[in-house]
Amino acid sequence: MTISSPVLRNSMRLILPLMLLYALYAMLKGHNEPGGGFIGGMIMATAICTYRMSHGFAAQLRLMPVHPRVLIFLGLGLALGTSTVPLLLGEPFLRSAVGVFHLPFSGHAFHYASAMAFDLGVMLVVVGVGVGMITQLSEELE
Amino acid sequence: MELENFIILFIVIPMGTGVIGVLLKQRVHIARVLGVLSFLATSALAIGLLVHLRSDPAGILVSQMGAWPAPFGISVVFDSLSGLLLAASSLVALACYVHSFSTVDPVAEKRYFHPMVQLLMFGVNLAFLTGDLFNLFVSFEIMLMASYCLLTFGGTRLQMTQAYKYVLLNLVGSTLFVIGAGLVYGMTGTLNFADLALFVSERQARGEALPPGFAALSIALLLVFGLKGAIFPLWFWLPDTYYTCNVSIAGLFAGMLTKVGIYAIARTFPMIFAHGHSDAAKVVMPLLAISAAFTMFLGVLGAVSHHNIRRILAVHVISQVGYMVFGLALMTRVALAGCLFYMIQHMVVKSCLFLCCGIVERHTGTDDLDKSGGLLKRDTYLAVVFFIAAMSLVGLPPLSGFFGKLVIIREGWRESMWWLSIFGLLTGALTLLSMLKIWSYCFWSPSGESIERTPANMPNTSSLRPAYIGATLLVCVALFLGFGAQPVYEIAYRAGEQLAAPEAYIQAVLGPEVIENLARARAESAALATAAVEVTP
Repeated sequence: MTISSPVLRNSMRLILPLMLLYALYAMLKGHNEPGGGFIGGMIMATAICTYRMSHGFAAQLRLMPVHPRVLIFLGLGLALGTSTVPLLLGEPFLRSAVGVFHLPFSGHAFHYASAMAFDLGVMLVVVGVGVGMITQLSEELE
Repeated sequence: MELENFIILFIVIPMGTGVIGVLLKQRVHIARVLGVLSFLATSALAIGLLVHLRSDPAGILVSQMGAWPAPFGISVVFDSLSGLLLAASSLVALACYVHSFSTVDPVAEKRYFHPMVQLLMFGVNLAFLTGDLFNLFVSFEIMLMASYCLLTFGGTRLQMTQAYKYVLLNLVGSTLFVIGAGLVYGMTGTLNFADLALFVSERQARGEALPPGFAALSIALLLVFGLKGAIFPLWFWLPDTYYTCNVSIAGLFAGMLTKVGIYAIARTFPMIFAHGHSDAAKVVMPLLAISAAFTMFLGVLGAVSHHNIRRILAVHVISQVGYMVFGLALMTRVALAGCLFYMIQHMVVKSCLFLCCGIVERHTGTDDLDKSGGLLKRDTYLAVVFFIAAMSLVGLPPLSGFFGKLVIIREGWRESMWWLSIFGLLTGALTLLSMLKIWSYCFWSPSGESIERTPANMPNTSSLRPAYIGATLLVCVALFLGFGAQPVYEIAYRAGEQLAAPEAYIQAVLGPEVIENLARARAESAALATAAVEVTP
């Protein structure tokens, strides 16, 4: 379903990068504050679907050139993988490695947790499911 | 390597196989091999751990997910109760899955059939393992999502109508479950089973009353679990649901879904909601007893009145659930052990009967009793398998159903619930009647007049081989449960002890240090509360 409105087309060109960036921001912020993989994924899926509305399906394929199924597979695999690795190291399932690493030149301390990979997996699944559903439904409408 | 951490494999293996299966959408053969391997692995793991735990004095393995300590994080607990159920459910899933190779529609098979079966078992295994009320809700949801997909695989009108009712009903149930879990957290401040059990037993030891509304809350949760378990007033969704889907899937559902509901009652009620002689127990126990009587007796009457194999078997699930509720209503350690033994034997035997029904349907092209007949001559092997499974269900002495019923009914007499025991015996007789009905119409009677041997309904014997393998596997397990009842019952008895006296479970999950800290924190907050009350006026 494409809406041929110049206002939407032009504003989408501006909003799309912002939305994608904000989705990443919400995902990263979620470690300690409200946000996280799920909501980040929702924002990203909304961005992609709105882009499809304004620019058409071909444009969506250029933006996300994989089948949603692949994203779901990658996301679930990443989430399951990061939660299973601790088992091999003799730790319980889902245990997160936490630490601080210093950026090479400026020396800024950067807090990291391996749970972030899990969150990234959640995000990929949500994007895959969201975009996949909307694509299926709008194909039926067309 | 610590053994505890590996109980999570019951969840990781099916989920991993399901995830890979998403990518293998078109490569059906690889997906089949992987699926069989996954179920083989979980069955072997469950049986291995059970054998290992027999010599272990505590007999409970606990893993804290993410290494968050017990009442705050999510505990995963493998005790005798979960172990037996995991072993039985993995074997049943293996058999039904293999059976489905000869019944599943090839088009449906390429539409995520394999991942959905794996994800269903992911949910079931998580439900059996989890030590946390909210996580139990999550596992119910995973299981239900997969079951919605499996129910609607053909996409026919009839299936959609049934699935719509099923989805709606389960949405109501799930909503009530979340509300209940929220109220539990509000009243007690915890959702961990062990911590909840500690909360209740501490209060009872000090002679304090439980929070107001606890009895109402436990009845709300009983309603939720009873809906999943199809006990007396809440069974109406079951017969039609099992009638419309693929027969192997119906076998899987008959083995798993109701039993998960019963498991949830067995896990939470003896330990927490109806522990000791609380107010909640005074309401819940008579409710369970009455419900058991109606479930057993009305279920079997329904089975006798039907004239389709699959409907008879489906309505029978309800009647058999009644025996398990009977065991739960007595709530002594022996009765709980009997309930557990009955549960696992019922999972195996009932699924086996459904698998046989699938082969009968392939032979005759229908499951109407009037139109089928003469199968004894045409397929003697199937007749033998069906007969053993049917007699196990009825409870003929050397076979598995006998031991479960014996334990539960005898315990009923001892606990002066003789009227329930009489209902149990009557139900057993009527079960025999309904099984003989299938036997005499379908197998013993001379060949039915209506079997036209057109190419369309001619049995394709080569592709029926997986179906025979599945049914044979389950009948072997059923025979083992009958002739090897002693070791299985010992494990079941241990599970009954752990449920009736939850101290071991609490100790294993929380650990002595946490218990001490919790007791101190609760005493302090109680002191603060009384101080606040003294200050306010």
